[in-house]
Amino acid sequence: MNAPQRLQVEALSLSHGRTAIIEDLAVELPPGRVTAIVGPNGCGKSTLLAGLARLHAPDSGAVLLDGQDIQRLPPRELARRLALLPQEATAPEGLTVGDLIRFGRQPHQGWLRQWSGDDRRAVEEAVAAAGLEALADRPLEALSGGQRQRAWIAMTIAQQTPLLLLDEPTSALDLGHQLEVFELVRRLAADGRTLALVLHDLASACRYADHLVAMRDGRIVAQGAPAEVVTEALVHELYGVTCTLVPDPATGTPILTDLRRA
Amino acid sequence: MSETLMSEPLPMPARADAPRRVAPPPGYWRLAWGERHLLIERRALIVSLLLLGLLTASSLAYLCLGQQVLSPAGAWAALKGEGDPLAGFLVRELRFPRLLAAWLTGAAFALAGCLMQTLARNRLATPGIIGIDNGATAFAVASVVGLGVSLAPPAMALVGAATAAAVTFGVASGGDTRGYRFIVAGIGVGAVFGAVTQLLLARVDIDTANQAYPWTVGTLNARPGGAVAVLGIGLALGWPLAMALARPLSLMRFSDAVARGLGVGLRRRRAQILGLSVLLTALAVAVAGPVGMVGLIGPEIARSLSTSRGVPLTASALAGALVMVLADLTGRLLLAPIELPVGIVTAVVGGPWLLWILMRPTHRRVS
Repeated sequence: MNAPQRLQVEALSLSHGRTAIIEDLAVELPPGRVTAIVGPNGCGKSTLLAGLARLHAPDSGAVLLDGQDIQRLPPRELARRLALLPQEATAPEGLTVGDLIRFGRQPHQGWLRQWSGDDRRAVEEAVAAAGLEALADRPLEALSGGQRQRAWIAMTIAQQTPLLLLDEPTSALDLGHQLEVFELVRRLAADGRTLALVLHDLASACRYADHLVAMRDGRIVAQGAPAEVVTEALVHELYGVTCTLVPDPATGTPILTDLRRA
Repeated sequence: MSETLMSEPLPMPARADAPRRVAPPPGYWRLAWGERHLLIERRALIVSLLLLGLLTASSLAYLCLGQQVLSPAGAWAALKGEGDPLAGFLVRELRFPRLLAAWLTGAAFALAGCLMQTLARNRLATPGIIGIDNGATAFAVASVVGLGVSLAPPAMALVGAATAAAVTFGVASGGDTRGYRFIVAGIGVGAVFGAVTQLLLARVDIDTANQAYPWTVGTLNARPGGAVAVLGIGLALGWPLAMALARPLSLMRFSDAVARGLGVGLRRRRAQILGLSVLLTALAVAVAGPVGMVGLIGPEIARSLSTSRGVPLTASALAGALVMVLADLTGRLLLAPIELPVGIVTAVVGGPWLLWILMRPTHRRVS
């Protein structure tokens, strides 16, 4: 894999139709780390992630990948440098897990380069990284929610991009399945990839992210290491909730107790 | 010193590429020469060969059967220009050109249908259903009944198809080819063009109306001269173009964000696919009139035989040709000596088929 690449955002404004969602936002993903983007519903966190992946053209400002404006990159080149797992990921019926993961190699393939040794290795590594060896021939429909989510993440792993963006990868998963996904995310970061996750659970963000970006109303309210930026005042500002923060006895990361609506 | 060096085992080349053979994924064959390599899906190849075999058999039947029945050997001899001159005339001048038109129109309608269905991610979204056939027909009829337009019917069909597609897009607004809005808009546009055709026919004398009649039902009995050749050229270019789009097409079956994340430039690809689909439909309508049902049935057969790893473009084209040959043969034989237009046969078969598709339990999307 290539060296970690820098993804930074300068003075970015994004809108849906005429509604401005994000205005004049600047952020940078620390290379080789897990960044969690958190905030209340409608704060623009998914829109920001879509902007980072070029699903959304900016009204102004730019998303820079190693200094290059991503709007100017050819689609396939961008897909070799940055992978995205959107929230609404749907696949055609009847694909197996292996079929799905192989689609992750598409940006690297061409008409006369349909299955190289690199493709095969990348798929094997992705299957192993996501712990899907036993499930590779199963149809996607036959998997549990957590397994299916791991299969989708494996597809983005097979893309072998230094950057990986995941939009709410754990929503709709139960506790055990959430852990499966978070542990996979940590392993990917340990391999030197840069990851950004949109999360709605602040406690998981504190536990599994190195860097936290807290958003509200399309602006960044705070960013930094979770233990430093997550305060009772921040929780109140983001969610309108008063709480008491105590360090997790096992990990030292903050957990929220005594939650009350302000 | 050199002794010790020699006795060291030579380091293996570090690159895992060293074994030249890369095992293909399950269900595929891999062909490699030099740095180039292709994957061939076994099932897709088998299905295409099966359809090709059925097409060959039904084509032979098409040449043999009719009011004058020939033996397969007799039909073959006649095709080569040997044997009985009457049989030669029958096969070479009547049946074979019509068979050729059946192949080409069936393949073009079905390929166009498969492209449009994949584009719209909806199996009902064939050019016939979203009004493109009707647009092509209305314009072709306008040229036949002499509305002061001097373009040949095939050119007019193309203009009509493009117009219908443009209007459908405009009405569905925003170039969004997904969902029912696009289909409902297309049905509306198709109805308007259908009415225009009827209006044109109602206003001309009976002879002119008769002349334009084949355009309105879909038949292989009245093939305008150059149209078959134009369709042949269109298909000879369109099929490789469709194959070149096979990879983006297979990714476009995923949700948009996934497809774009995997490097598909959706806007450009959609325009190319739509353009190709409209072109193939128009050229086929110019030969046979609106037999759009083939665009629904052909891809449906192909998909039911194929895996969902790719988009069955070739299988759709072959299945479409097969359906067209069988439908036209049925139309010729069923009430002989009266001939049923192929458009009516496909509608009689395709109508219930459409109902069956609609009645089947809806499929879940995989998330």
